[in-house]
Amino acid sequence: MRAVIVEDHALLREGLISLLREHDVEVVAHAEDAEGLLRIVRGHQPDLAIVDVRLPPTFTDEGVRAAIAARAEHPTLAVLVLSAYVEPVYTAELLASGGGGGVGYLLKERVGDVRAFMDAVRRVADGGTALDREVVAELVRDHGRGNSALDGLTPREREVLELMAEGRTNAGIAEALVVTGGAVEKHVTSIFAKLGLPASQGDHRRVLAVLAYLRAVG
Amino acid sequence: MHAEHPHDPAEEPDTVLGLQVAFSAVAGCVVTVVWVLTGSAEFWAGWAWLGLVALLAVHVLVRYAVRAPAGGRRDYRVALGALAIVAAIQPVVWLLGGQGPFWPAWPLLAIAAIAATLAAIVHRRRLPWVRAQAALEARVDVLTRTRSGALDVQAQQLRRIERDLHDGAQVRLVALAMRLGRAEARLDDAGDPVTRDLVRGAREEATAAIAELRDLARGIAPPVLADRGLAAAAEALGRRSGSPVTVSARLDDRPAPVVESAAYFVVAEALANAAKHVPGAPVSVALTTAEHRLIVEVLDEGGGGADASGSGLTGLRHRVEALDGTLVVRDVPATGTLVRAELPCVP
Repeated sequence: MRAVIVEDHALLREGLISLLREHDVEVVAHAEDAEGLLRIVRGHQPDLAIVDVRLPPTFTDEGVRAAIAARAEHPTLAVLVLSAYVEPVYTAELLASGGGGGVGYLLKERVGDVRAFMDAVRRVADGGTALDREVVAELVRDHGRGNSALDGLTPREREVLELMAEGRTNAGIAEALVVTGGAVEKHVTSIFAKLGLPASQGDHRRVLAVLAYLRAVG
Repeated sequence: MHAEHPHDPAEEPDTVLGLQVAFSAVAGCVVTVVWVLTGSAEFWAGWAWLGLVALLAVHVLVRYAVRAPAGGRRDYRVALGALAIVAAIQPVVWLLGGQGPFWPAWPLLAIAAIAATLAAIVHRRRLPWVRAQAALEARVDVLTRTRSGALDVQAQQLRRIERDLHDGAQVRLVALAMRLGRAEARLDDAGDPVTRDLVRGAREEATAAIAELRDLARGIAPPVLADRGLAAAAEALGRRSGSPVTVSARLDDRPAPVVESAAYFVVAEALANAAKHVPGAPVSVALTTAEHRLIVEVLDEGGGGADASGSGLTGLRHRVEALDGTLVVRDVPATGTLVRAELPCVP
């Protein structure tokens, strides 16, 4: 896998590069600002771009804007956005952008849990989704209010729904909940039936269906 | 030419005035000589002199009016001059008209009253009570300006602190968590399980510290407010609140950071109150700007009865009043509690 990194803090940039190299991800270039992202994506055609939200010169949300611009130019580019805080607005904008490339939006501190982080990196690079559990929790909490279909889920199904919305595969969900793959499949089928969603093929489409549902019922 | 160089004597060939003075003198003398030759007892020549001198006085006054720079002060002087001419004519007419009781006292009194009123109007700023008022107004101006300046500086400093937290401590903690995570991953493969658990514990502590720092930064200056403005921040608050919230915003320009922050915290507190006292009740948030005022309205459908003197609302009121704004909490019949803040925003 060939990745590029856009991060203005040298400490984090170097740390990320070391971490990715230790896990056989080739970091082919790095940049420090939003313009740099477009430049290195054009120059290196990477599989994945890892981008900090706050970048020079204004230190607001240019990372998100640059990621969306890069995906518009290179629809198959996978983008993993790292941020010190999560905003569901940015999640929606990122998910709505681009074509087949994967999308990730994680809190920065998730890099500390190396295994889960590398799992998210691979998932996004493979065209999947990795949403921070804080975003998902907010969506579920928000849209769950007064929604009978969501209220009808068992606590376990609710956990599975949140993990699905994060973009995890059935195997990933089984591992997180310490249950068998078969049990997860049963929960998923039950959730989709209760929410009245058609069973989706593919993990990314499943995430989109769940998120679309959560947004639509708001 | 005169209007352009009113004070240059070389540019003022007073030939017209000079001619008039000469003509008046000659005419006056001729009339006087005729009066002497006719041997009349009554000094009728005085009327001629009065007319000639009055005309001269009017000429001089008009001349001044034309030359002096336009403005209230000139108008005032011309008016006083005209009054003086009319006043001077009265006793002369009395003298020439055979004296008797001093009737010019009445017109002179009226003229003096008019002159005094004019003077009072023109010099009103020198009146002692008006002077105190003006000083007070100037002071209020200065205080308003310096206070809003201080609050602006404060809002900017808070945003800088938030940024410093993000760029400083937060970045170091993330780097720390990342290193601990890498160490943990190596220990996973081959290492002492006790050491591995210690490292994992340390990594989780670092992660918790980052989360706490994030909540702190959000309380100081919410990033989405700085990034996307008030409407987006209010929507984010609505999503985080425990009630179904709809936000409608009609905002022209972005208000100053200090005004934006105050409005944000009004929405935050009102939503928190609504979620606490009438959980689950729908809440609508309206943000509008009109005539350099930002109006924030948060209305819940909880039936009303909120306590307007709660500590949260009192703190909010201080915050809003510090910006010269107003905060009102009242019941809306058949709906619920309305929290309404008006904040002036200087363009």
